[in-house]
Amino acid sequence: MKKKLLILSLILVFALTMTACGSSQPQTIKIGHAVALTGGSSMWGQAEKNALEMEIDKINKAGGVLGKKLELVAYDTKAEQTEAVNITKRLAGDKVVAIIGPGQSGVAIAMTSVTETAGVPFVATTATNPKVTVDDTTNKVRKTAFRTCFIDPFQGTVAAQFALKDLNATKAAVLFDVGSDYSQGLRQYFVEAFTDGGGTIVADEAFRSEELDYRAILGKIKDKKPDVLFIPTMQKEAAMAMKQAKDLGMNVKFLGGDGWASPDLITLGGTATEGAYYVNLASLADPAIQDWIKAYKEKYNMEPVMPNPVMAVDGLLAVVDAIKKANSTEPAKIIEQLGKTKDLPVLSGKLTIDPNTHNPLNKPAVIETIKDGKFAFHARFVTTD
Amino acid sequence: MFFQTLITGLAVGGIYALMAVGYSLVFSILNFSNFAYASIIMLGSYIGYYCLAKFGLSFPVALVVTMLGAGFLCFLNERIAYSSLRKRKAPSLYFMISAMGTSIFLENMVYATIGSSFMAYPEIFKQKALHIFNSAIGVLDLFAIIFSFVAIFVLHYFISASRTGIAIRAASYDSLICQINGVNLNILIGLVFVLAGILAGISGIFLGMKYMAYPTMGWITNKAYIAAVIGGLGSLPGAVVGGIILGVLESFVSVYISSIIRDVFSFSLLILLLLFLPAGLFGRYLEEKV
Repeated sequence: MKKKLLILSLILVFALTMTACGSSQPQTIKIGHAVALTGGSSMWGQAEKNALEMEIDKINKAGGVLGKKLELVAYDTKAEQTEAVNITKRLAGDKVVAIIGPGQSGVAIAMTSVTETAGVPFVATTATNPKVTVDDTTNKVRKTAFRTCFIDPFQGTVAAQFALKDLNATKAAVLFDVGSDYSQGLRQYFVEAFTDGGGTIVADEAFRSEELDYRAILGKIKDKKPDVLFIPTMQKEAAMAMKQAKDLGMNVKFLGGDGWASPDLITLGGTATEGAYYVNLASLADPAIQDWIKAYKEKYNMEPVMPNPVMAVDGLLAVVDAIKKANSTEPAKIIEQLGKTKDLPVLSGKLTIDPNTHNPLNKPAVIETIKDGKFAFHARFVTTD
Repeated sequence: MFFQTLITGLAVGGIYALMAVGYSLVFSILNFSNFAYASIIMLGSYIGYYCLAKFGLSFPVALVVTMLGAGFLCFLNERIAYSSLRKRKAPSLYFMISAMGTSIFLENMVYATIGSSFMAYPEIFKQKALHIFNSAIGVLDLFAIIFSFVAIFVLHYFISASRTGIAIRAASYDSLICQINGVNLNILIGLVFVLAGILAGISGIFLGMKYMAYPTMGWITNKAYIAAVIGGLGSLPGAVVGGIILGVLESFVSVYISSIIRDVFSFSLLILLLLFLPAGLFGRYLEEKV
């Protein structure tokens, strides 16, 4: 018994020492990163982290900000709301001046509960649901929430108008994820814009989160004979849906949102994804970022998984600019300056933040397609009101 | 639409049946629910992935390797996690805890070593739809149904006709008397786990081909458990029938009621069965449903 007690206490002491031995570096500006490093969105998350580290290296080599070096503190959200709230509390405890991320709308909305009380700003990378920056119960903008990506009402309209004009669709079906804020929102805006433009929604079906088998629902949709099947979900579910739709012999055009933009879509969906279209925030074929892509490829030996790394770097540059303008690392002052960001040159163009909504103004959308098993740029899309 | 829903239900039910049989096999002998079965199926799926994608083996070879690999892993699972408990005549609760621990351990081992991203199987079967009676079914699904039934039939034949099969059935009735009659229970149980593992390997590779291989894919075995309960835990034909019924019912609920309600329905069915018909359709045992 005594021996067991001794071993147990040794294990306890060992565990405690391990947790206490965190690295602490004074004299750095800590930038938090709330990112999905594991799970379905991990490839974008890892790309964000890589891009941020590359950019921070560059900034530090040029002298840092306000004479101090930047330090990235990244924690894994697993793209889960509860995990994100936990790590946001950790980041606030680590005294980060701002947080880059997250990439998921549901996660971002969950994080606001911590950031609003802690007073630490976050700049979401690809969280497109409008509720992230504007509280829909009070219709007031959230003090600490910002983003560098377009919002779903815009994205839904782009998708709907593309379907109506370019794909000549009159009947559309929607298959969405009932447990995802992103999916619900995008579906709502697509349906509104599609019906406003004169089309009819013939089927509007939902599946539970993490569900991978939609064959029963797709059988129901097939009966209604839509021209276009809009799948506003992440790449894994969309790939499965397309594969199963093809298994059922469905002859429709597939359309999606920025959640599709991962090479996973093609590896998981195979030949079923050929000829599908989706809306994206940035494209690998964009001439303006080719130099950056080259540098990323040299450092990490792979292509950046779009569009998250571009959005993350945009966010970092906005935070750095805010720190410089405020001449301070106090989060409250950074928040003030972030809201006033105007025409800041960032990776994807020029960033102007609307102080009323904390959303970027004038973000473009691109339509990409899958051709010969690879992503291909299809068109830059301009919406008509 | 009715016939399409039925066909889809059969495709899903075939996989449920396969997993439910493996589940019932272990339950019939050892009287506990092997919660680690989910992880064996998941590992089987990964083995299949590596055979097909990384080593470029042909499909039949990969299938055999997966079956043997998963069978071996299931056998190891028994030897490491359950055999010492069995020798000490531990209550079933301990087996369950051990099973859960094994399941969590294996899942996190995969997270830590291979990583959590999804492994996409290469396209072995053409992405084509076969049309039967104005309904479509994928080539892979049709093959999976047929192969599953062949496998279950072979297993059934083995269990009813061979000497070892008779020993297995005897052990499921009363393991003590079985030992008195000269059956080496240790070896027999090991063999049962290998058989269950082979079925897990087949399920794993088909699940991987239909969807993808990822660490938490074992969740689908909860459905297998429901299927086994419908058919009656401990009865192999019952497990098959239960799997088919569950697959078809789920399909109809998805289409005619609501696709989101589907799992609510499945688990409500489980609760109702445990309350009112705990022996299921063909089952013998009425105690120890957990």
